[in-house]
Amino acid sequence: MTIATDQFRRRKRGANRKRTMRMVSFARHVFLSLVSFFVLLPIGYMVLASFKTVPDFFGNPYGLPSSWAVDNYSRAWQEAHVSITLPNTIFVTACSVLGSVFLASLIAFGLSRKEKPFAMALYTLFVAGLLVPVQMIVLPLLILLKFFGLFGTLFALIVPYIALGLPLGVLVLAPVAATIPRDLVSAAEVDGANPWQIYWRVVLPLMKPGLISVSILNGVWMWNEFFIPLIVAFETESQTLPVGIVAFIGAYSTEWGLVFASVVVSTAPVVFAYLLMTRQFQSGLTAGALKG
Amino acid sequence: MRKYSHLWFVLPGLLFFSAVMVGPALFAFVVSLTNWSGLGTDYQFIGLKNYVDAAFHWPFYRAALHNFEIFIAILIFQHTVGLFIAVQLNAKPRFMQFYRTVVFLPVIVSLVSTGFIWTLMLSSNIGFINPVLHDLHLGFLAKNWLSDPNWALPTVIVVICWNSLGWSVVLYLAGLQNIPEEMQQAAQIDGANAWQIFWRVTFPLLSPSFTALTVLTFIGTFRTFDVVYVLTGPIGSPNFTTDVLGTMIYRYAFGGSGFNNSDLQMGFAITMAIILFLIMTFVCWAMIRILRKREIDI
Repeated sequence: MTIATDQFRRRKRGANRKRTMRMVSFARHVFLSLVSFFVLLPIGYMVLASFKTVPDFFGNPYGLPSSWAVDNYSRAWQEAHVSITLPNTIFVTACSVLGSVFLASLIAFGLSRKEKPFAMALYTLFVAGLLVPVQMIVLPLLILLKFFGLFGTLFALIVPYIALGLPLGVLVLAPVAATIPRDLVSAAEVDGANPWQIYWRVVLPLMKPGLISVSILNGVWMWNEFFIPLIVAFETESQTLPVGIVAFIGAYSTEWGLVFASVVVSTAPVVFAYLLMTRQFQSGLTAGALKG
Repeated sequence: MRKYSHLWFVLPGLLFFSAVMVGPALFAFVVSLTNWSGLGTDYQFIGLKNYVDAAFHWPFYRAALHNFEIFIAILIFQHTVGLFIAVQLNAKPRFMQFYRTVVFLPVIVSLVSTGFIWTLMLSSNIGFINPVLHDLHLGFLAKNWLSDPNWALPTVIVVICWNSLGWSVVLYLAGLQNIPEEMQQAAQIDGANAWQIFWRVTFPLLSPSFTALTVLTFIGTFRTFDVVYVLTGPIGSPNFTTDVLGTMIYRYAFGGSGFNNSDLQMGFAITMAIILFLIMTFVCWAMIRILRKREIDI
């Protein structure tokens, strides 16, 4: 008798529990869908806005465009100078990522043994660079760039980007380089490899995941950087996308369609890369954060 | 000789870093001792006067207070909403990958693009939010989001929340996935309920994520510039209610709308940037020391 009621009770409790679980799971999906909706809404709105004509913005502020103004993009290409700023952005980002990753990997290899003289001090020096506000060094930098005749060229962006990318690169890569087994390095030494060969043939291939993290980490902020080009690049010829858009809106403040076509062009490549490599992006970007 | 051989690998980076970061930082210190306007060659050394002036310059405190308000608001948002979303995702619901991808998406959207998107969304007449409110017959809720002095700063904070939510979710999720399930099961066997398990077991084990996120939020919010520049302009309109240290230093150094060349005070601007750097370095160092103490090794 008691056993029967006990079983009955347990079964009832089990069913109750299942129902609660299902309700929790349903509530969770509702909540997460709502969050996704609020995150995606502005991005969807940006894409719609890039296809709208000026009267559409007033007559039909949040609906679909009444006629899809695809020529916003071709006009932005010409009038908002995307034809200049997009290649600029690609070139600057590519050079700066390669430069900063290469130099940071050299530094990380050089500092990988903490007991060597100056290793800790130099590591601290590089990592302290993370906290330097750009406003502090940008003016002396400007004078320096003028002195070397780089002002007004794309190198006026590439040089500071590489320098600002180094701290993050060293922060992420130094621990990676430190975990490379010493036996491997000494084995290569025994085989007669010189330090350069050890770096190039042994250490660099082993640091590959770290190199990808740093490339993503630096690539994203270099692509999106606004302050340095705002100070350094006055001419369209040397501007990148973000500052180009700001300059354009200063000149034609009502052409929202063209502005958003440019914003989409500047956002789409990063988003596309992100969707292709979601995992690397998330782990790469958080790697820097967790180590800092 | 071999003892120093590793330094050859550091040398190229070090030279570059010295020329572009260390040198200019030292030069910035020299400029902070002058009354140079930033234009022309007319300057005098005035010692530490800029530093004293900054200490009595109330717009400096106003801007710093705005930075602080943004920091606290974002911090609370990330440690509550962000953590909650991460816990929900950690339950591994279906479409978890999709949710996670979406939530992190705004992080890679540039702050300039974010600023433009929301300038339009929040615009008083064309935008999105006000027209939708009007059509839902909730017109009384419509505000001049970015030009009403009472609403401008909260609005800027909401925009930054949208852009930075992904950080907290992904950092906390990484922390949650590092916690071995046995620990929660052990607590359950000991008779702890879900609430107790979360606050007594899970949350303390998340402290590395907590530390990273807090420091990251601090650095990010005290560097705020792009969003404010695009949303409310370099003078932090309306009437400086959204002025932050970034825009204020920019204004003194390079001008902005409503500023003419005679207002430029490069030496003073650089002084404030140096003070910001010193405060940030100190606070980060202190935060890491304090927060690391409560971290537990699994």
